[in-house]
Amino acid sequence: MMRVKLDDKLLMQVEKPAKYTGNEWNMVRKDPEAVQVRFAFAFPDDYEIGMSHLGMKILYHTMNKREDTYCERVFAPWVDMERLMRERGIPLYALETYTPLSEFDIVGFTLQYEMSYTNILNMLDLGGIPVLAKDRNESHPFICAGGPCAVNPEPLADFIDFFVIGEGEEVIHEIIDAYKEWKNSGKDRAAFLELVAGIEGVYVPSLYEVVYYDDGTIMDILPKSEKVPDVVRRRIVKDLDQVDFPDDIIVPYIGTVHDRIMLELFRGCIRGCRFCQAGFIYRPVRERSPEKLNELARSSVRKTGYEEISLVSLSTSDYSALPAFCDELLAFTEKERVNLSLPSLRVDNFSLGLMERASKVRKSGLTFAPEAGTQRLRDVINKGVTDEDLKSSVQLAVAGGWNSVKLYFMLGLPTETMEDVDGIADMGISLVESCRGIADKNGGGLQITLSTSCFVPKPFTPFQWEPMDDIETLTEKQHHLKDRIRRRTRKIVYHYHNPRISHMEAVLARGDRRLGKVIYTAWKMGARFDGWDEHFSFERWQEAFRANGLDSAFYANRRRDFSEVLPWDHIDVGVSKEFLIRECRKAYEGDLTRNCASGCSNCGATVYQTGICFKQKRNNEQAGG
Amino acid sequence: MARALRFRFARDERLKYIAHLDVLRLFERAIKRAALPVAYTQGFNPRQKIVFGLPIAVGLTSSAEYADIEFEEDLSPETFISRINQSLPEGIEVLEAVPIRNMGRIMSLIASARYEIAFSMPEAMAQDELSGIVLDFLDQEDITVMKKTKKGTRPVNIRPLIYSLSARKQDSGGYVMEAFLCAGAENNLRPDLLMQAFSQKTGLELTVESIHRKAMFASDFNEWKSPLEVTDD
Repeated sequence: MMRVKLDDKLLMQVEKPAKYTGNEWNMVRKDPEAVQVRFAFAFPDDYEIGMSHLGMKILYHTMNKREDTYCERVFAPWVDMERLMRERGIPLYALETYTPLSEFDIVGFTLQYEMSYTNILNMLDLGGIPVLAKDRNESHPFICAGGPCAVNPEPLADFIDFFVIGEGEEVIHEIIDAYKEWKNSGKDRAAFLELVAGIEGVYVPSLYEVVYYDDGTIMDILPKSEKVPDVVRRRIVKDLDQVDFPDDIIVPYIGTVHDRIMLELFRGCIRGCRFCQAGFIYRPVRERSPEKLNELARSSVRKTGYEEISLVSLSTSDYSALPAFCDELLAFTEKERVNLSLPSLRVDNFSLGLMERASKVRKSGLTFAPEAGTQRLRDVINKGVTDEDLKSSVQLAVAGGWNSVKLYFMLGLPTETMEDVDGIADMGISLVESCRGIADKNGGGLQITLSTSCFVPKPFTPFQWEPMDDIETLTEKQHHLKDRIRRRTRKIVYHYHNPRISHMEAVLARGDRRLGKVIYTAWKMGARFDGWDEHFSFERWQEAFRANGLDSAFYANRRRDFSEVLPWDHIDVGVSKEFLIRECRKAYEGDLTRNCASGCSNCGATVYQTGICFKQKRNNEQAGG
Repeated sequence: MARALRFRFARDERLKYIAHLDVLRLFERAIKRAALPVAYTQGFNPRQKIVFGLPIAVGLTSSAEYADIEFEEDLSPETFISRINQSLPEGIEVLEAVPIRNMGRIMSLIASARYEIAFSMPEAMAQDELSGIVLDFLDQEDITVMKKTKKGTRPVNIRPLIYSLSARKQDSGGYVMEAFLCAGAENNLRPDLLMQAFSQKTGLELTVESIHRKAMFASDFNEWKSPLEVTDD
């Protein structure tokens, strides 16, 4: 077995060398010779980002509980380290044993963000593994990928041997078992891929053929053999209390983005905001019990020594047992001097009281996400927030001593007009004005940071057919907004996102497998860390499109017909296409859809036979007698 | 048994790539894991009452780092050492601890440090010649170098900060500089800056391979003493 050797001279030349040396508290140590399966969990971004990712912690823990498997971690080396590694011929290695990536049995990438795709190619290459799936043979590891972006796996079809759609805790065991079976059988590489293609939730792109019309749209997506399913259904965990959740997480030496214990309250979201992919691809809502969570909080603090716990979910306020759960949790955190952070809370008297108790730190910032500037547009996106809600929430917060507020909006939502854009500025300004009297008592007045991102239509949302605003339109809207704010007040700081990065994100999000060539070309031309402004080059991507005779606008800015075959139509996340079409039509009517807690809207997620769908049904039956 | 302890710890190769603030955080978390009855500061953001003697730079190994810690109840040095070591990662180890009466003076106590600096040169040099060069270097009254500070780069005469210096050739072919330097919150000469100055002033082309802090001292009535011996103030 080969082990990578790193010397002082190399490590002293790079920023934060501890990103590359491992050996952290709670890192799992095993004898690689004593296991049957070696799995490299690869995060296609920097260590500081990757070590903040809950999914990796869960799967690392789940796999390492098996005696027959050793799961190790790999991150994308930052550009300074990559340069030195290439200069000295050092292959990309896993942090646990310094084993080169090419020596693993399976390498699994997590797809959290489209703009990290080029890092995957770069990591494979740096790890001594052929970048294209078709170039790999029996001496190479299998490359798999999962995570939210895997719901449209097509742009990565050329590079990934198999995708895992949905939640990994259970399916990963089936995959490892299949690998052991295959390894003992002595069969060829194709035989393993056929074997895993039979596991629910596993998608092997090379076993499907995509047929196109002349205009570049898809005619059909066909399985190449009868053994593979026409449609691959997303896997979910039925009962969160029945799967392991890590309490012995790795404690990094250097600060990471989310350097704390994360307690996952529930998966899914009851809200159904029409732009939000997470709101659809994690259905149905399934909660972890408060008893289990409190137990995890205690054991996690004991095993990690962390000074902070964060509650994790898409909408903390929607956790059904929140008040009682928080009471018990706070009793523990106060005693242990642990800070509790409560993201994605709706602001009301209850939550402000909670925040007051939870965090002893200075009352710095509160975050609100109205997403759109007018009531009309908020109705379009099914964001059930009114101007009055927001105003009273902010006033409440300011009166409670919070004097800085962050507001998040999106530019380019379907049906948006300049009136809606003006509405964003006006909302901020009216908040500053309405809080003037209250804030002055605390001194300083209310400071607002207003941020706009660019709306990116995502697969499996009611807006999956929508054209994205082009770069010029988004830029114009940003300038207009900046101008309007600057002319009216100095109390608002305005931030906005680079629309060129968002454009590429949109292309990759809804792309088909022809994009593989573009991604490959862009990477060859030097693309990596595309999500980082300082490394992203729009011109490079455009050149990669031209070189392959494709147009990025076809993917980003084109309206699809409801009848068009979408590149991800052979993936089923549980939510039906009929429901998404219904939601899209309602959006144009400005009609709201109730949330899952108030009643079922028949999205299709009942196929999973679990979660809120059934809790709700039971409640209704009880109410109806 | 005591409410406050001063302790010495070592850091080896395995953890030399983390910065001073990371070492602080590492200790805070180890103390929490060990469930030691550490005292906390009052106020909005309670912090553990632990104070470190001198920052430890990235890349530096050390067998003599010092810190003061205060507890909510009395604790014996032996209990502290055994419990904290079980919770510290490999690469950092607490070696000694003594009771102190007043917590937190360690920062102002540290006055000097002894370093062992391994270096290499492209062309071999005899011991005599090397010793001569070091003596000539020390003979200067003014060794001014540019030092980076928070306020920018400014010239500093480092000669008064060098207490002793000698170089020896190793059997393996490398060289080791033994340096005894002024250290502490007020005046501090970093060993890498010393080597940079040495290279600049003597014209010797050299590469620093590793730096090890062997000892740190407090000044007690004109005598160098271990910080663990200066505890009754």
